[in-house]
Amino acid sequence: MMANKRFKLSLLLILSILILLPMCAEKEKKYITISGSGATFPQPQLEKWITEFMKEYPNVKIEYYGGGSGKGLNDFKKGLVDFALSDPPVKESLWRELEKKGQVLQFPIIVGAIAIVYNIPGVDDLKLSKDVLVDIFLGKIEYWDDKRIKELNPDKNLPHEKIIVVHRSDSSGTTEVFTTYLSLISDEWKKKVGSGKVVDWPVDKLGRGLGGRGNQGVVAILKQTPYTIGYVELAYAIKENLQIAYIENAEGNFVKPNKDTIKEAMENVAAFVPDITRGYEEKVEMFLNAKGKNSYPIVAFSHMIVWKDYPDEKAEVIKNFIRWIMTKGQEDKYIVTGYVSLPTRIAELGLKAAEIIE
Amino acid sequence: MKRSKIKMNIITNKRKLKEKIFLITIFILSFLTILPLFHILISVFVKGFPVLIKGGIDFLTGTLPPPGQELGGIGPAIVGTFLLVFLSSILGIPIAVIAGIFAYEYPNSFIGRGTKLLLQIMMEFPTILVGLFAMYIVVVPLGTYSAIAGAFALAIIIMPYVAIATEEALREVPKDYKEAAYSLGLTKSQVIFRVLIKIARRGILTGILIGMAKAAGETAPLLFTIGGSTRVFFEGIDKPIGAIPLLIYNLVQQPYENYHQIAWGAALLLLLIYLLIFIPIRLKLREIKI
Repeated sequence: MMANKRFKLSLLLILSILILLPMCAEKEKKYITISGSGATFPQPQLEKWITEFMKEYPNVKIEYYGGGSGKGLNDFKKGLVDFALSDPPVKESLWRELEKKGQVLQFPIIVGAIAIVYNIPGVDDLKLSKDVLVDIFLGKIEYWDDKRIKELNPDKNLPHEKIIVVHRSDSSGTTEVFTTYLSLISDEWKKKVGSGKVVDWPVDKLGRGLGGRGNQGVVAILKQTPYTIGYVELAYAIKENLQIAYIENAEGNFVKPNKDTIKEAMENVAAFVPDITRGYEEKVEMFLNAKGKNSYPIVAFSHMIVWKDYPDEKAEVIKNFIRWIMTKGQEDKYIVTGYVSLPTRIAELGLKAAEIIE
Repeated sequence: MKRSKIKMNIITNKRKLKEKIFLITIFILSFLTILPLFHILISVFVKGFPVLIKGGIDFLTGTLPPPGQELGGIGPAIVGTFLLVFLSSILGIPIAVIAGIFAYEYPNSFIGRGTKLLLQIMMEFPTILVGLFAMYIVVVPLGTYSAIAGAFALAIIIMPYVAIATEEALREVPKDYKEAAYSLGLTKSQVIFRVLIKIARRGILTGILIGMAKAAGETAPLLFTIGGSTRVFFEGIDKPIGAIPLLIYNLVQQPYENYHQIAWGAALLLLLIYLLIFIPIRLKLREIKI
């Protein structure tokens, strides 16, 4: 009978914890819960905004589940969440499907950039021109001390080592943006490889390619393996202290991704962002290789996707939240390292959405 | 005479040497097998313990902080994990125990054999598929992520463990008891529930605890079912909820140091919950030996 007693006791313990914990934590608070899911890239920034927003509006709780852009849009379509975040803009076919349920609104909420990162001990500030970058990823340039790399970096002590290219092994929006950029600057890349969430990397066939799962996986390989080159979200490159390369932009200048170069690029492409009710017209390549003297060429928006119509109490919260993100949320103190705030012109799109939601 | 004795000595020495080599090899190999386990235990303790100390009681009751310096807490995930274990046990264990009894009582019938085979297959079933199944059966019709959907998926996962443990525990009961019970004129249900189950309770309990530990540690079935709250503690079983394994999975994908620390702290907590469930099992088993 001992076992039975102990079992009952442990059951009682679990039950009491179960009942007591939520009770002492919540104390009958009345609040409204809003939930969203989607891209993991803007998640840290969104968590920051949510925390600050909830300080000002204590009767609101916002949950964000992450899971990836695809999952977010699927959840949104099925009505499991109130809003979705997606790195690539919504495709026209999905947009039409969503429209059957009600008017959809899409607008950018934050800007991110993809950094070209590498690991050559002792060589900082490497410069790469457009064609050299493409040829490295095509596998045409085999050694770090290749003549063409040397020409761009005459004062650097480049080693005679094989170049190893690190790329994402999982399906990824980062890969899509990066390969779209390569297709944009090189016809050869466009014909041979193309763009997408997953592509056939030519370097893999040459035995000089490595795949990592997630930004985190690429970073890990890059850190452990010297003479590698890869692409990651800027936030990771900064956090992990990776060597970041200067990339040639549309006007032939070499630029590193930072607040100023990314903002300049955004100012130059702001006009291309379509109206919030026609989000499907937006394409990733509109924002790549932007004009401007110091524009960084590989930038992308993260988008928020919301309905125009919500139940009363939710509509009010979502309006307030979007309005807060577009005004206070864009101030420097609320922006997490590695992200860049929106140009005013684009922030106005979000404000417009906040106006028409009802 | 002398010569053959020396020869014998050499042979026994050789045999002793062989035995030593064998023993050492076995020792090294078994050490290599348990090495990863100790590595996991130690690294989780070393990295998680300072986080628990630093976070203090807030770590158990607080909510997720933004990226940066703060540690915050994982309160909603802890509440969620306990709730999920509880709900999935309520859903899964009764059915599983009855299925186990059925497989024991009718081992030669078509349904009895089929039940056992299916249970064994279910044990090895990819848990992510169970999660997808729960999503289409519960989440989509309800129109929201929910604790009950996660508990449903977990119940499916723990059922085969409990059922097979029940069946095996019952089979270990000596036939004499069963015959004695029948000879006293007890009905079938009385024999099973009053006599056999009571004798086999330790084995069944072990199965139940393994099932509960499994439910506490699973990630994949929760990916599409519970949402994964980090700020809301509990709003009802038909609303989204958090869970420790899912939280760890989400946090380690972020580049922020404080998120990684929280993940280590959460991992240690999960480990402690595991040990809390497993140590009683070990004690139980020792009792049987004596």
